[in-house]
Amino acid sequence: MNIALTKTPAEEAFGIALPNRRMEEWRWTDLRARIDRPYPAHQNTVAAKTDVDRLIASSPFAKIKTHRIIFVNGSLDQARSNFTGLTFEMGVPTSSAMDDPLIHLNGAIEPAGLTLRFESNMDVLVEIMHITTKGAARSMALRNCIEVADGASATIIETYLGEGDYVLSSVMEFEIGVGARLDRVKVEHESATATHLSHVVTSMAKDAKLNEFTLTSGGALNRQNGTYTFLGENADAKIAGAYLLNSKQHADTRLVIDHAVPHCTSREVFKCVMDDHARGIFQGKVIVRKHAQKTDGKQSSHALLLSENAEFDAKPELEIYADDVVCGHGATAGDINHDHLFYLQSRGIPEAEAKSLLIGAFVGEAFDGIVNDTMREAMVTFAENWLGQR
Amino acid sequence: MLKIENLHVKLEDEPREILKGLSLNVKAGEVHAIMGPNGSGKSTLSYVLSGRDGYEVTEGAVAFKGEDLLAMDPNTRAAKGVFLAFQYPIEIPGVATMQFLKVALNSQRKARGEKELSIPDFMRFVKERAAKLNISQEMLKRPVNVGFSGGEKKRAEILQMAVLEPSLCILDETDSGLDIDALKVVADGVNALRSPDRAMIVITHYQRLLDYIVPDFVHVLSAGKIVKSGGKELAHELEANGYAEFVEKVA
Repeated sequence: MNIALTKTPAEEAFGIALPNRRMEEWRWTDLRARIDRPYPAHQNTVAAKTDVDRLIASSPFAKIKTHRIIFVNGSLDQARSNFTGLTFEMGVPTSSAMDDPLIHLNGAIEPAGLTLRFESNMDVLVEIMHITTKGAARSMALRNCIEVADGASATIIETYLGEGDYVLSSVMEFEIGVGARLDRVKVEHESATATHLSHVVTSMAKDAKLNEFTLTSGGALNRQNGTYTFLGENADAKIAGAYLLNSKQHADTRLVIDHAVPHCTSREVFKCVMDDHARGIFQGKVIVRKHAQKTDGKQSSHALLLSENAEFDAKPELEIYADDVVCGHGATAGDINHDHLFYLQSRGIPEAEAKSLLIGAFVGEAFDGIVNDTMREAMVTFAENWLGQR
Repeated sequence: MLKIENLHVKLEDEPREILKGLSLNVKAGEVHAIMGPNGSGKSTLSYVLSGRDGYEVTEGAVAFKGEDLLAMDPNTRAAKGVFLAFQYPIEIPGVATMQFLKVALNSQRKARGEKELSIPDFMRFVKERAAKLNISQEMLKRPVNVGFSGGEKKRAEILQMAVLEPSLCILDETDSGLDIDALKVVADGVNALRSPDRAMIVITHYQRLLDYIVPDFVHVLSAGKIVKSGGKELAHELEANGYAEFVEKVA
């Protein structure tokens, strides 16, 4: 059913309709209502060198040696990027034709992007950064594709940092080949007034391995979609995420895991911390197709609410058509455990520090999914700083 | 060191009184055993002394080293030297035992205006004490009490006590759930901590523990009051005759 709605100024500017709460997947995140002013594309904002440098240095991974591919205000910054030894092709990949509002929006903004191809086991960390500097309200888009060839492996870091009022749309495509491995870490630490909209499309061939971790801590409004499709048997996907949200931040993640073939394993672990009036949402859908026997899929989302006004909504969906599978989901929400708090205090740890320790322990379970030690430590430090500012 | 005077305590959200005028005087170097039937208020006493939420003191006072203990936060009490070995030690997922010990010790030192221990000094300090309690390095790396057996949890409590070096140790049913070998290890650990500067309150239902941790004084707690006090021989009397005499007396 298509109910004709009068176009909002934002929709006029984008030239497309935005998803609204009447659509089931968008019931908690009414983009049409929330993006309440136009964010024109292609504003060619001039970035001051000092602003860019400062934002790059603010990355939690600033001290880690990575090959950085840096986009500034929606365009590739060739001079700052390091492509040494990488196989790549400039230009936006066109493969993804998925009917999804965020992908349509990404197309409407006309993204910048490239395709990176990993042919073998390269011992480098590749960090794709997007930096937004202060400027007029505007929208920017990226679309990148990462191909990990059969038997190859890659580590991809995505960092999104910025200042000011903007909409950033990011579409990432990951193709993981036969026996290939991808470690992906994403940090969303946009400006406090920004909107971050992303869609990740991942496909896994036979024996492929995915280790993914997403940290969501920036932005006023955040919506992250992910679609993961198993195309070959014995593939394994571990997908972890953490929210560290405060003030009126809103973050909504919707993942769809499609077990299209037998003998694959998927694990989703989300640990969400919400303070003040923040609201977190986790929607996880697992589809097990008729022939996908011996599927092992588990999903869990846990929320720690640090304020009476914080909110968490979880919506697990299982669509199982095969009859010999192990699938499960679990969701919890609560405040800090008072027995834990008393135990720590009874050993001399002051209340505030005891709470930080417990929050850190809660969110830390999601960090365990990060394979690289230095990167995991960087995330722990990020969480400690976040807690320190409470 | 500890002076409890006419302590009346009720649950915060229930009118029922649990402690009904308890008085107790504990001096440095002394070991006091508090024995009593279930429901007599033994655990409540330990929680009120360590500062747990949910209790309301309606009458009486507790002085610790001359200060008003009841006015302090649990962490302040700990820094001043109060330690409760829990009957049921709490499992804390995600916090490694070693990290927990380090934060606890350094928080206490900081509160007392002492210098924090360096990491190598701290490690040496803990390892020495852990070895005496048969606590492996592997256990120290695990999250606090998570997946520990009953005996391991009790040994871990004693290790915390040995590391934090409190001046008042309150042992709440430390013998519960221990077989005789585990009980001996725990008792040896406790006895090693006996010193002229340190006092202990050993709360127990059974006399068995007191064969290993020999008290200077034994008190019988019944229906929220100390109804009889004596030397260590009182524990044997109780073992022989049970608590019936005291329970009836109150009823």
